[in-house]
Amino acid sequence: VIEIFGFLALGLFAGAMAAALGVGGGIIFVPALVIVAGFDQHLAQGTSLAIILPTAIVSTLVHARAGRVVWPVAIPIGVAGLIGALLGARAAIALDPELLRRLFGILLVVIAARMLLRARRPYADQINDRSEPGSGPS
Amino acid sequence: VKPLILRSAFIGIGAGLVSGLFGVGGGIIVVPALVLLIGLTQFQASGTSAATIVASSTAGLVAFAVNGQVDWRAALVIFIGSGTGAWLGAHSITRIPERTLTTAFAVVLIVAGVRMWL
Repeated sequence: VIEIFGFLALGLFAGAMAAALGVGGGIIFVPALVIVAGFDQHLAQGTSLAIILPTAIVSTLVHARAGRVVWPVAIPIGVAGLIGALLGARAAIALDPELLRRLFGILLVVIAARMLLRARRPYADQINDRSEPGSGPS
Repeated sequence: VKPLILRSAFIGIGAGLVSGLFGVGGGIIVVPALVLLIGLTQFQASGTSAATIVASSTAGLVAFAVNGQVDWRAALVIFIGSGTGAWLGAHSITRIPERTLTTAFAVVLIVAGVRMWL
């Protein structure tokens, strides 16, 4: 029972963060399952995907109704993504869980560094720079 | 072949690899790629990214499930919690300044990242 409340709390936290910051749930689910719940890295990643899939379906329906899904782009990315994900998952399963966990640790630090850089300079500014060539450092 | 399809396929393969390898959605790659390489708006990128994550997470999930590496009960409970959390987050957490929240979250990620390396 305590375990169920723990999972519920993890979900609440991850969902709130995802909604407020626009980050995906996976970067929260996997480390929380490994560090707090003591899952093996592979089990954590498989379970994370099982949460992400229904979340993405609901999210797609909501966005599609609002006309925010560009299907001519989504479909080729999706098809290529199926192939890439299958290869990636096979590689993950073949990897030693401890090595995979370490690689995931690096991924987290890289994502965090990017978030910190972006927090110093809002993403909207970067997009504005793009539409006005020559106005930004990039 | 149209360059749009080529660019999309390129993004898809990259995002799919990260998604399958790390058990994440892949939005961290798809969203910026859609804005910077395809030229979508931030809103279109979020919506389009969600649709592509349906595909990549399905493929990854099948691979892990076949190996018995999915805790379905935990997934269900966390999914219920995260749906509720997303609703709350969209309605109330926005009162905390986004920069503060982002910084705090990034620090937590760094601590978790280091912890996973050890």
